[in-house]
Amino acid sequence: MKLLLTKRLARSLWRTKLRLLAVVLIILVGVMAGIAFGHYAHTATTMYDDIYADSDDGTNLADVWVENPRTIWSSSEASTLCEEISAQWPESELVMMECEPRLVVDGLLFHTDEDGVERLVPAIWHGIDEGYVDRIWMPEHDCCDGRLAQAANEIVLDAHAVEGLGVEIGDEVSIGAGQGGMNFTIVGFGYHAHHLYFAAPGTIVPAESGAFATGYLTAEGLEALANLTAGSANVLLIDIVGSPDYDLLSTDEDEGELLTPVVASLTEIATGVDQAAIVYDRSGIASVEFLRADAEGAMKSYPVITGMLVIVAGITIFLSLQRLIQSQAREIAILRTLGIPRSAIMPSYVIAPLGIGLIGSFFGALLGIFLGAPWMEAMYEELIGIPVLSGAVATSSLLEILSITMLLVLISGIRPAWQAANLDPLVVMRGEHEVKLSSRAIQRMTARLPTTVGLTVRSSTRKPIRLAFTFFAVGLSMLILGSMLFMMDSMEDLMIGNVEENANWDSQAIVFPGTEGNIVDWADENSVDYELLLTFPANLVDDPRQLTVFGLEEFATSGEGAMQILNLAEGRLPVADSPTPEVLIDNGIQHFLDWQVGQTQTVLFGSQAVEVKIVGITEGEVSRTMYFHRSDLAAEVGIEATSVLLTIPDGVDSDELSQMSIGIIEKQGMIDSMNSLMEKQQGFFVAIQMLGVIIAFVVLFNTLIMNLAERDSELATLRVLGAPLKRIGSMMLGEHFAIGLIGGVLGAIFSILGTKWLMSQMVQWAFYFEVSADLVISAGLAGIVLFISVALTPLGMWRVRQMDLVEKVKEFSN
Amino acid sequence: MAGTLLEIQGMKRYYEMVSGTVKALDGVDISISEGERIILLGPSGSGKTTLLNCVAALDSPTAGDYSFEGAAVPRDAPEQMTTFRRDNIGYVFQFFNLLQDLTVLENILLIQELSGGRDEKRARELLALVGLEAEVDRFPTEISGGQQQRVAIARSLAKSPKLLLGDELTGNLDSKTSAMVMEVLVKACEAEGITTIFVTHDESLTQYATRVIRLDSGKILSDENV
Repeated sequence: MKLLLTKRLARSLWRTKLRLLAVVLIILVGVMAGIAFGHYAHTATTMYDDIYADSDDGTNLADVWVENPRTIWSSSEASTLCEEISAQWPESELVMMECEPRLVVDGLLFHTDEDGVERLVPAIWHGIDEGYVDRIWMPEHDCCDGRLAQAANEIVLDAHAVEGLGVEIGDEVSIGAGQGGMNFTIVGFGYHAHHLYFAAPGTIVPAESGAFATGYLTAEGLEALANLTAGSANVLLIDIVGSPDYDLLSTDEDEGELLTPVVASLTEIATGVDQAAIVYDRSGIASVEFLRADAEGAMKSYPVITGMLVIVAGITIFLSLQRLIQSQAREIAILRTLGIPRSAIMPSYVIAPLGIGLIGSFFGALLGIFLGAPWMEAMYEELIGIPVLSGAVATSSLLEILSITMLLVLISGIRPAWQAANLDPLVVMRGEHEVKLSSRAIQRMTARLPTTVGLTVRSSTRKPIRLAFTFFAVGLSMLILGSMLFMMDSMEDLMIGNVEENANWDSQAIVFPGTEGNIVDWADENSVDYELLLTFPANLVDDPRQLTVFGLEEFATSGEGAMQILNLAEGRLPVADSPTPEVLIDNGIQHFLDWQVGQTQTVLFGSQAVEVKIVGITEGEVSRTMYFHRSDLAAEVGIEATSVLLTIPDGVDSDELSQMSIGIIEKQGMIDSMNSLMEKQQGFFVAIQMLGVIIAFVVLFNTLIMNLAERDSELATLRVLGAPLKRIGSMMLGEHFAIGLIGGVLGAIFSILGTKWLMSQMVQWAFYFEVSADLVISAGLAGIVLFISVALTPLGMWRVRQMDLVEKVKEFSN
Repeated sequence: MAGTLLEIQGMKRYYEMVSGTVKALDGVDISISEGERIILLGPSGSGKTTLLNCVAALDSPTAGDYSFEGAAVPRDAPEQMTTFRRDNIGYVFQFFNLLQDLTVLENILLIQELSGGRDEKRARELLALVGLEAEVDRFPTEISGGQQQRVAIARSLAKSPKLLLGDELTGNLDSKTSAMVMEVLVKACEAEGITTIFVTHDESLTQYATRVIRLDSGKILSDENV
């Protein structure tokens, strides 16, 4: 009997093919997207774990870094520091395994392209002698080839830069580090732990291939290039047995319970030897932190996105089943009257959504595995620029998504099934179950309107729960679409707009401290406007998080008053030479530390604690930033400048700058890189947006078709009584317009609030930005829902046109 | 002498089914004058509802001629058929088919609006004519079946049709209420000068007719004035 009842239900469902297809489609999309996003999240996590692992295949990422941001240690200084660290290693469960001095310097790659045009490529050079820690990653893949540098004139070039530079193994490259150029032979292509996310210093935007380079030389080779003595170093890599957890910037928990005290002790030891030394764990390496944050963000967001999609699917199933049961009420009542028990009615209504869920999940899984996952993998490779080695979709992720989907599908079917089993045959036979009226309040409100308008409003609001669920589902789909639009817009404003509008300089020449005079002289000789810029890392007291401190020569919030214009959100600009140095902080610091204007706070430059007075809050910085007057900062850190900002007039040849600086950042290059990043992500963003639009369409389609189906007898009565199609069309258009408008406005509001909430969950110390609710985008979101709703009117009209009035009249008379 | 309202000659309506051709109407000739009250009687499957549907221009005959006030009635042209219904035909259903979300008065106003002219005064007059002047602001669920059918009659009269059709319009009512509804209907149609054709199984309703036509197997068995 149960089989027959299930068969009967399956046939009934089949009669509503369009709606059935819509529900299957939503589940399919949800599962596919879940698998695709889940695969991205698992890939990002696996890549992070595998690459940095303390294994033969991994790079054995160091656990603690001791850096000298001001100068270079001699061989003996570096050795002494390592010995001191080893000797004074704190009482801890953590055991030091290695202390390896390294030399890392900024520089330039002198590149001549195919057309013979010479170009200066900003670069970072690492001196690595058979390193044990922070090794070069050269996986067995097309990306990487060759071997490590062994001779002083050999170099391994980072694989990110290879395509853009058009170089091959065996080619010679001319590179510099502030001391003129030298030629090196390329012996291999690989990646380095610090540059897996390949962004130039000072930016989070990945560089276009060929716009930035990193290279891995022998220590001897780099010392020769930088004209330094043997054994010179400016970084000590500390490797600890195992991989101790470190305090994550994105959480309030103290994951680095063991490591943080070690870092504090090492800071004490290092600054005892060199006051300027700074010590940090993995959270201080931007590339590492970016990959971790990307993996963490993806891991956090994919269940949310999948959940949202599946909830929408669940709502659609719930509403569709309710409608189905309503339309089958008489049949159910007859079955009940014939003595079929409730327990026999209910299972088929539970099995039905499960069947629908299985079909949607099956095809969603196929598409997810063979289309979505490879696509997301390709996007990871495109965005991060490293090859994905383990390409298979994780079974755990697949099972997780399918389980969540089937569970929600099951839940969404339970209440309708219960309602079906508990229909009162007498109520149904009397036709009372069909009588569903709008609320008295709505009836009163519309009493004075023309009857056609009143009927439209009343019909639209007759099923408030369905309408509320529909608006909620549309809101979720608009959140998917809107979050992408709002984020893209905010990112574009923040990353491109900020540079385009606020940077009044063309080039930033990076210098060894103390050598900025050469650039200044050159600028004076060539009538080039310039400003010295001092950049220095700072730490917080009893807090492992770092921030970047900028010493600006001039402060301005608009116009041409300074090389770097700031967006002052609150407070005033700082005054130089104040008793307590006055500073600006970015709104990210305000958000995470709750530092406010008027407060005095302490920051650490190495071991030196400096009190600062916060006089203003800026906005538009992605990473945590503090602004001093350069003279105030120079007085604290003992160096005058780390770079020079230059506005180069037409006709001035800036080639000479390469001889005087260790790196040059071009404003246009930054903008190009950012535009390139936005373009790379365009496909991803557009795909997500389309997902949102498709879901909104399916949800509205489902609800509006159900509304119409419920009103079949109403519409048929009007048609029999001679109501012209045009008038019925106007009524339907009015109803769809109202639903679209309300749904659109609610969807836009939901999207704004949801995006802000999502962003508040995603931001962390290293990457903070606020989403702004752009009015045009908000109106666009509302417009999309309105358009979809109104665009479904012809479908409704087609349905009315197809009505067999003779059959309807028979129904009315039998 | 009343003029001819509709003229049907050789009307056939065949349906092609898997089991063969079903002749629902098989050559029906009827001429109906203005003001007549006609009852169509016959067993199930006799073709009376098909005839009513063809007269209402809900369905198109397979063959034969059908003219209304001397003009051919459109067929196989849904919008022209709708216009014809709107301009000429009133229809009362067995299950009333009132719009539940509209009050009694609004149900009538809606038809007026859809026909191009809202006239609340006339709507109220019609409700008074069917004895429901006190129920204008009530919803269909708040009144009895008989009252609902009277609203349906008032609604069908709202656009002043020339011909009022009803299919088993008392089929859902008890005999006492049926009689009351029919009396109201006759009174209203006489007052408005409307011709009526009703399909029924109920022989007792012939007392309200001026003419009774009996059908069987798609053909007219008898056609008698009462």
